[in-house]
Amino acid sequence: MVDGGAGGRFARTRWEPVAISLGAIGLTGLVGAVLLLAGGFDPLAAAAAMVRGSVGSWDVFVSITLVRSVPLILTGLAVALAFRAGVWNIGAEGQLYAGAVAAAGVGLAGGGLPAVLLVPAVLCAALAAGAAWAVLPMLMRVRLGVGEVITTILMNFVGIHMAAYMVHGPLQESRGVFPQTDAIAEAARLPPLLPGTRLHVGFAVAALLALGMTVFLHRSRAGFRIRAVGASPEAAHVSGRIDARRVLVGCFLVSGAVAGLAGGVEVAGVTHALYEDLSPGWGYTAIAVALLAGLEPLGVLVTGLLFGALQAGAGAMQRDAGIPAAWVGVVEALVILAVLGLDRLRRTGGRVLPGIRIGGGGGA
Amino acid sequence: MTRPLARLGGIERRFGAVLALDGADLEIRAGEVHGVLGANGAGKSTLLNVLGGMLAPDAGVVEIEGRAVRLGSPRDAWALGIALVHQHFTLVPRLSALENLALGAGHRRGLAGDLEKLMARTGLRVPLDARVEQLGVGDRQRIEILKALLRDPRVLVLDEPTAVLTPDEVDGLFGLLKELAADGRAVVLVAHKLDEVLGVADRITVLRNGRTVLTGPSAGRSVPELVRAMVGGDAVDPIALGLTGVDAGATGAMSRPPAERGETTTSARALHAGGVVVRLRGAALADRSGPGVHGVDLEIRRGEIVGVAGVEGNGQRALALLASGRAVPDSGSAELPSGIGFIPQDRSTEGLIAEFDLVENVGLALQREPEYVRGPWMRWDAVRDAAERIRERFEVAAPSVTTLAGALSGGNQQRVIVGRELTLARDFLVAENPTRGLDVAAAAFVHAELRRMATEGVGVLLVSTDLDEVLGLSNRVYAIARGRLHDVPEERRTREGVGAFMLGGTADG
Amino acid sequence: MAHPFPTRGARTAALVALTVAAATACGGGDAPEAEPTLRVALLTSGPVSDAGWYAGAYEGLMRIEQQFGAQVSHQQTATPAEFDEAFIAYATSGYDLIFAHGNEYQDAAIRAGERFPELTIVVSGGGRVSGNVAPLIFRLEEGSYLAGMAAAAMTESGIVGMVGGVEIPPARGTFVAFEAGARSVDPDIEVLEVFTGDWNDVAAAKEATVAQLSRGADVVIHNLDAASFAVFQAVREARAAGRTTWAVGMNSDQNDVAPDVIIGSAVIRIADAFVETVRMWQAGEVGGAAIYASTRQDVIDFVFNPELLDRVPPEIVQRVSEARDMIRAGTLDVPRIEFVEGEAGVR
Repeated sequence: MVDGGAGGRFARTRWEPVAISLGAIGLTGLVGAVLLLAGGFDPLAAAAAMVRGSVGSWDVFVSITLVRSVPLILTGLAVALAFRAGVWNIGAEGQLYAGAVAAAGVGLAGGGLPAVLLVPAVLCAALAAGAAWAVLPMLMRVRLGVGEVITTILMNFVGIHMAAYMVHGPLQESRGVFPQTDAIAEAARLPPLLPGTRLHVGFAVAALLALGMTVFLHRSRAGFRIRAVGASPEAAHVSGRIDARRVLVGCFLVSGAVAGLAGGVEVAGVTHALYEDLSPGWGYTAIAVALLAGLEPLGVLVTGLLFGALQAGAGAMQRDAGIPAAWVGVVEALVILAVLGLDRLRRTGGRVLPGIRIGGGGGA
Repeated sequence: MTRPLARLGGIERRFGAVLALDGADLEIRAGEVHGVLGANGAGKSTLLNVLGGMLAPDAGVVEIEGRAVRLGSPRDAWALGIALVHQHFTLVPRLSALENLALGAGHRRGLAGDLEKLMARTGLRVPLDARVEQLGVGDRQRIEILKALLRDPRVLVLDEPTAVLTPDEVDGLFGLLKELAADGRAVVLVAHKLDEVLGVADRITVLRNGRTVLTGPSAGRSVPELVRAMVGGDAVDPIALGLTGVDAGATGAMSRPPAERGETTTSARALHAGGVVVRLRGAALADRSGPGVHGVDLEIRRGEIVGVAGVEGNGQRALALLASGRAVPDSGSAELPSGIGFIPQDRSTEGLIAEFDLVENVGLALQREPEYVRGPWMRWDAVRDAAERIRERFEVAAPSVTTLAGALSGGNQQRVIVGRELTLARDFLVAENPTRGLDVAAAAFVHAELRRMATEGVGVLLVSTDLDEVLGLSNRVYAIARGRLHDVPEERRTREGVGAFMLGGTADG
Repeated sequence: MAHPFPTRGARTAALVALTVAAATACGGGDAPEAEPTLRVALLTSGPVSDAGWYAGAYEGLMRIEQQFGAQVSHQQTATPAEFDEAFIAYATSGYDLIFAHGNEYQDAAIRAGERFPELTIVVSGGGRVSGNVAPLIFRLEEGSYLAGMAAAAMTESGIVGMVGGVEIPPARGTFVAFEAGARSVDPDIEVLEVFTGDWNDVAAAKEATVAQLSRGADVVIHNLDAASFAVFQAVREARAAGRTTWAVGMNSDQNDVAPDVIIGSAVIRIADAFVETVRMWQAGEVGGAAIYASTRQDVIDFVFNPELLDRVPPEIVQRVSEARDMIRAGTLDVPRIEFVEGEAGVR
């Protein structure tokens, strides 16, 4: 097992998220059914469509649900890591777009390179751009004490509009007609994970990252320090002599990088070009994904799949059961509310989300 | 005399799996100061919270003047004339003292005038216009008491009011409590210091494991009798009992067991033999929440305990952070050894992480030690062994090392911290109010460990607001006032002598 | 902030929802035909309650269901990844023809077309062509040109405004034509143009309209989807403030969306075009080339608002009618921007 040293430590965290998740799902299902009935729809038909559209067949599961879960898992990991360290990075959406722009840029420019070089270059560009997108909020938090909740949200708008500018301007397709880039080079595209399906190796990247992050958080000293700073910056400083600021800077940047990777993987693995509306708000859904997983990376793998299935099934509800798209948004909002509510219940009297303080000795 | 003002009978209260109160009784009469005693986790605070309407009991009766009542909220208790002064402050930092008092009393005309009269009568003076966040703990405590008194209560309940007051202020407070009782009110008081309680209380109630084990007049009770009632007859540390202090310590060895006396002497001898392990020169450190320290010159040798006494908020925090290497001096220099242990005063926010288990909490400090790390990885097996050793050696009452720190009582949390920091303190140990809030047995344990460390050649810096603790344990004594250290000469190491240094900071006191 | 939600739109949405629910509930059991049922799907990236671009497409889908006894389905999708998924989902459940109602679908349509050779995809306003993917191009410029003539006749300030969504060639084309139409009536007319970057951003559209009105424009045309309501609302508010201001509808007959301010609408009879496209598909004529729909088939038109007809100078109604005939006859050239690959000048 991952947690060899003190096995029992896992016990308390392992089942709690599961119970919360089941509670959230049950609650959401109940409220959703009531809403559907009120709207004159058949909840059973909707549920059947949802199941068919997400796990109804191998092809649907692999080509739709799994593909859709990749950006949710990656951004979920980004959020989980940041939250674990007490960094309230709400900016995964903007970091994702930054990563997508960088990946598209490299993927378009590197046409002459072989895939073994170009694919890593594309992903590295996405990582770097995501991290770069986190630099400004990070500096404002560390140097000026400006809360990162607001700054990262603002950077989301900048990121989304930057991507829009790119597809209207510098990176617009060579025909100059539509707001999108040309298709990136064949050698820049992620190879399929399962031939004949849409599933690309980005899924393997996401799964391995979740596994690696779990091992890192629970087995490595740096991971332990991150957890300590996130749980109590004061205790980490006074009892652990941990430089909370360094942990914070590191986690902020890595979180941004992973969210950027989500954008790069989406461009290189799915769309093969940059579009304005690349993300339906994955960076925000990621918060629910991460919280629902109890901020455990392996849990994010599960909840990311769950949300992927939910989103895939939501499409089927429209197609097969005629449920309007707006209802899908309601379902997602309900899940997020249920998650946040149950999460809060779990730790009554816990910290207030944005009001965290770094334990600083001296400084200023 | 006939009918008690308030009576709690057979109170039970459970928190999850923990039975905090298991049929506790408390009877309060008009015109008395009533002391409530008990070890940590005995249920004192829970019982008082039931009386104050903060907690509903699972079973038992609450009677006010013979009438059974239901106290669903603090409001119900206020309506019946019961006012509770909390152990934890409930003030709004951004508001002024006056505004906080107005919050408690409800807005009314002439509040400031009433307050002036109240302050004059009670001697509890606070700057009404100052914002609470700028005030020290002593002032905050006074505001809490004034807030309660403004309600003109029939029963005034105080949970640990003396921890943050100077000896003079404690005397003043006790005088006030006696006056209030003489008025026909009842005062209920929780304090750890038995001699304090015996000095002021007319009657006492002792709790153990959630039950009332002794109740009756305080006159004629001896401290050992009370201790036996509280802890069940363990060996006790006279310093922790509040018995020793200056006079006993100055007059001789009578109140100390011979063996301990001997250890102290050994360490006194070691003072001359041991080398300097810590050297602060002109060190200064600003502190946002207090005065900080400046111009600190301090040398500590192996084997000696250096005590720093002072009223809370005079720079102790900054001194402890500097000496423990948690902060770098703004100016001046600090030469520190590598093996430093630090017992911080605030164990729940700084000493431990409540949602981590004991292994992780031990690992929190040990992760800096090479033998608990392999490359980038934690050696959790080694940390777990260390945690097991601490749990056994320091008798931490936890079912296993995977128990969450937050589930432990205050005394057991402190045992974990002490155990952990002692393993780190190869050269030097900083202890900041190490026994605050601990019961007698736990405090005795901590004191014994500090002495043991000194005999093993470790330099110890004891920073405490507890004068008796400082005087009873230290080879050398400093007083800290407004961020400056004052060396207290041997002949002035009495309660009054040090107290003068603490307040005025002048040699002539 | 609240924009008036048109009662028709709401009714349509409710009706639509019910119809689809009923259709699903019946499960197609009421059409026991021997020959395989025609299956037609519609993809939109906005709500079909917009009383415009998407509503017209949905109306077309409903008509296809009625006229051809087709099994129909609709999905609203938002991102390129969803486009792929929707095509796959429809293709694998046996759909024959998919109307992808917007140029944003074109790349995903080409990909799906390669993967599912049996499938035919029609991309409204698309620019890419393959054997089983055909763009459906609406010559809305023709209606927009006529709208420009009407606008020039109505303005008192000599300034007219245009509020667009995403700046893409089909949208720019309508504005170019609008300007040309206006200048054919008044060569000195001043034309303001802005693109908000979003078809459905109500707040941005309203802000842009208010800005143009305050710069003196008193007739505003839009090329938006759900955000068009904001344009009408801004014009209505200027009216309430004492100015004489008008709006022009676009994409569908919006005259009764805001009958007090809309002087007329440049319409695409999308439903007609869809029905016609299904006929062509059944005849094997869809694929390999763009399908054009214009005034010639009566798919494109400009329709005066009957409730405000008394406010319009009769001679301009006459001139618009004549211009329409000339466009149909090919004697009046409306400027437009070509963007379909294979067309003149387009790679």
